[in-house]
Amino acid sequence: MAVTESSYSTGSSEDVIIETHDVSVYFEMDRGTSKVLDDVSLDIYREEILGIVGESGSGKSMFASALLDAVVAPGKTSGDILYHDADGSTIDVLSLNQEELRAFRWEKVSMVFQGAMDSFNPTLRIKGHFIETLKAHDFDVDEGLERATDLLAQVYLDPDRVLSSYPHELSGGMKQRVLIALSLLLDPDVLVMDEPTAALDLLMQRSILRLLENLQQRYDLTVLFITHDLPLVAELSDRVAVLYAFQFVEVGPVSELLERSSHPYTRALLNAVPTLQTPLSDMEPIEGSSPDPINVPTGCSYHPRCPLADERCIGEEPPFYATEHDDHQTKCFHWEDAISEIPLAHHKSTTGSSQIVEGKQSEEPVLTLDNLCVHFENNNSFLGLFGESQTVFAVDEIDLDLYENDILAIVGESGCGKTTLGKASIALQRPTSGEVQYRGDDIWAVKDGRSESDRSYSAIRRALQIIHQDPGSSLNPNQKILRTLESPIKHWKSDMSQTDRRSQIYGLLEYVGLTPAEEYAQRYPHQLSGGEKQRVALTRALLMNPEVILADEAVSALDVSLRVEMMDMMISLQNMFDTSYIFISHDLANARYFAGSVGGRIAVMYLGEIVEIGPAEEVIQNPKHPYTKVLKWSTAELDSDASQEELPLRNIDIPDPVNPPSGCRFHTRCPEARTECRVNSPKLEATDDGDGIEAHQVACFLDKPRDHPYWSSDQLVSEDNPTLVE
Amino acid sequence: MSTPEATSEQDETLESLFEGYTPEEQTLLDKIQTFLYESVYSPFLIMWVDWRTRVGLMILLGFVLMGTVGPRVVERTYVNHGPYTQPWFQSMDHPLGTDRIGHDILSLTVHATPAMLEMVAGGAIFAVVVATLVGTVSGYTGGKIDFVLTTFTDIALNIPGLPLIIVLAAIFEPERAFLVGILLTINAWAGLARAIRSQVLTIRQEAYVEASFTLDMPLSYIVRRDILPNLMPYILMNLMEMARHVIFASVALYFLGILPFTTHNWGIMLNEAYQHQAHTRLDLFYWMAVPIIVIGLISVGLILVAQGMDRVFNPRVRARFDQSKETSTEVDNV
Repeated sequence: MAVTESSYSTGSSEDVIIETHDVSVYFEMDRGTSKVLDDVSLDIYREEILGIVGESGSGKSMFASALLDAVVAPGKTSGDILYHDADGSTIDVLSLNQEELRAFRWEKVSMVFQGAMDSFNPTLRIKGHFIETLKAHDFDVDEGLERATDLLAQVYLDPDRVLSSYPHELSGGMKQRVLIALSLLLDPDVLVMDEPTAALDLLMQRSILRLLENLQQRYDLTVLFITHDLPLVAELSDRVAVLYAFQFVEVGPVSELLERSSHPYTRALLNAVPTLQTPLSDMEPIEGSSPDPINVPTGCSYHPRCPLADERCIGEEPPFYATEHDDHQTKCFHWEDAISEIPLAHHKSTTGSSQIVEGKQSEEPVLTLDNLCVHFENNNSFLGLFGESQTVFAVDEIDLDLYENDILAIVGESGCGKTTLGKASIALQRPTSGEVQYRGDDIWAVKDGRSESDRSYSAIRRALQIIHQDPGSSLNPNQKILRTLESPIKHWKSDMSQTDRRSQIYGLLEYVGLTPAEEYAQRYPHQLSGGEKQRVALTRALLMNPEVILADEAVSALDVSLRVEMMDMMISLQNMFDTSYIFISHDLANARYFAGSVGGRIAVMYLGEIVEIGPAEEVIQNPKHPYTKVLKWSTAELDSDASQEELPLRNIDIPDPVNPPSGCRFHTRCPEARTECRVNSPKLEATDDGDGIEAHQVACFLDKPRDHPYWSSDQLVSEDNPTLVE
Repeated sequence: MSTPEATSEQDETLESLFEGYTPEEQTLLDKIQTFLYESVYSPFLIMWVDWRTRVGLMILLGFVLMGTVGPRVVERTYVNHGPYTQPWFQSMDHPLGTDRIGHDILSLTVHATPAMLEMVAGGAIFAVVVATLVGTVSGYTGGKIDFVLTTFTDIALNIPGLPLIIVLAAIFEPERAFLVGILLTINAWAGLARAIRSQVLTIRQEAYVEASFTLDMPLSYIVRRDILPNLMPYILMNLMEMARHVIFASVALYFLGILPFTTHNWGIMLNEAYQHQAHTRLDLFYWMAVPIIVIGLISVGLILVAQGMDRVFNPRVRARFDQSKETSTEVDNV
């Protein structure tokens, strides 16, 4: 077995567009030198798509910044980064001066940053952004704008409309696509994308990836795609490099990495990802957490978390080993054993069979939503005199029951009203019409004192709790954790002694994995990681013994490897506290994992309406509504050649909820839509396929018998968005 | 679960979860100690690290001493107390000189301080407390209460301040310094209330505020714990600004002769110096310079303290302080 140090180059140097040798990025801090990129060497081939995967804080963004010599001060970059131009000349990136760098960035290598949607100037039209970029690089503006028009059409946008809009008029997905067009404006050879889709929902992520593939072929691009989401890049990339603790640990072609990955970390990462196919019991989180840049473990940096680690791993840093496949290299002493020792969960897929888990829900519903509507008046007019006020139909005529010990996962794109529905269900949002009943009492009637019931509003209020999406704002930054958790108990259980109170808090903190609890309790929120903050938020929600907890995208902001762990925690707490969850997510895989484990249901929402609802596995494995199928398509699978079929949508962007389409609201995007769908709207009714699962309901004419007028009406074709059907 | 049996059952599960965790029982004395440590001692130390706070606090402390001890030490001056218009630094009896009718300027300055401090405290605290109350309550609650409070604020904001004060001063002729202070800020709170309200509107969108609301915590808790700490640096800065406003306004109004001359005031000193052409005569320059220097000094002191206070409300600084305490006690133990 050949033991080769560092370099990965196997092809001739002509194929390589960027060469990096022993690149390090470090920050001098009070506590010592923080090395956030540690002597990495990697060659990037011309016209490949290279995925770089790592947990947050593994140094992946630093690698991207280093390629452009854009590490922010006081960070320092050392090593060699060589850029081989198409004409044969070589540029030493780290030795460029400011002026040369300015030309190099964007013209040779351009970058789409993380959270780039906020990088537009809100007072400047999109056109202005394009012109600014062209002028800054002394390009011809008219010619450039022509190219911009082309590029925008390539990313499925209407160029004229988009160029003349202000950034706030575009949705997140549209802004992201405009940015991609903007980054390609000066015809760069390399496109570096740092988590470009992290803030978007899955459907948009997948659509953008599909675009990226087309663009890459059309413009002969080399794409560097950086993400924490392994399945996402697996589908797109030619090669994947896995980054752990500021070093690459495994590099190889996608198919090799998915099927025969030989680093224990890669294999653990693959097993930690919830998918639609993997048996639920085989998913497991990675123990422990990634190391601090100041205090990286000696030897192999993964040894504290590795099941195969031995004395040698602790004392000695492993070199790169080449595996049977030429281009596949692993930084692990035990790479041969890893394949047999750590089986991959996605190899045992259970496609097609639906396992229905029996939950232990009660007969009586805890929450009943009766014909619930939430409409927002969007009043743009001046004193109601000029212009019309617009109504956003966020939630429209929804009936639902939620039982004890129940889990309901609400799935849909951003802007479909899932958060509004969730907040209305736990009485944080007053409905426009309809009722929310808590054990038979209309909550808002109780609050307004219109109800005969002897139940107090305060008791209902405390029985319905929430965990928010953004860990950053879920805890009061000015208070220590102890105080945040202690105050509600102090207020509501004032007879409890301080000792009991604290022991309850420490016990809960310990249970959610924050040990030592007494030390964590003395911290401020900024001293916790995102996952830890979410656990504290969960603890706080549980203090009141709530009956229902609304988890509003509670795991979406966490690293993929942490999501399963957090969901496991929530499920185990359900058993202890008899709590029901309303779990809001844009990710069908997370919804399946969470709801499926305890026999919960999945509800699919589209523009304020529920279009399909049923037991989790049934909805996932046997989707009836075309929209559910689209969502399923958008959930990336750990399979490099699966799901290559075309985008099953006629239009990428969700219509404006101000004027929802007539008839079935999905008809503007539905691949199966016929003229009947434009006129009549289907009702949510039990499915008709005789599988005996009554709870599975769908609102689509496709599910109707053949004599329904749908089947005799004409197929709709896209006329409003011709770019999609080329 | 609302049935009593179910609840007790759950409490049992909870209790079983917490077995083995018995933090040490705290006595009342311990609690008082922790409170003093966390709310008085450590914020003070954090503030003290900043040179601005140190200098600012020293200046303010000087003025407080001048206002409390000063009048007892420095004899009250009278007509023909010394020679007429003696410049400063000429004699030990009248170090800052005398005015046209033989008043000792040092004594005038010192005896003006208690009333001035009272005025500042009355005016600044009144304005900031009213502004904070109105701003946070209307911002957080919204709806009808918000409408009433903002309308009230807007009215106060739009009445021209100076004429209002002149008219009110003429009607009430306030003599208590405390009331003069309130009169001077009678509508100065409105602008601050508006600014605070708009900040509260942003903060109430934060998830942790909604979480407190879902826990049905009382309004006073949410305002005190979740909203105010975020605004404190801003409010304190404004408290100091307001204090300066009161000083300047009182000086200006006494100088213009609008407020009744019942006490000593630096404004009255300036007025008299002006009456005797001190602004055009170099030999009388000291007469005007003394009150100007005193006003400038107290103003600088207030600004420095406000800037230094920022640190106390920054959780990162507080956390670092806690950590440094821990490590240093560890070292002590070794």
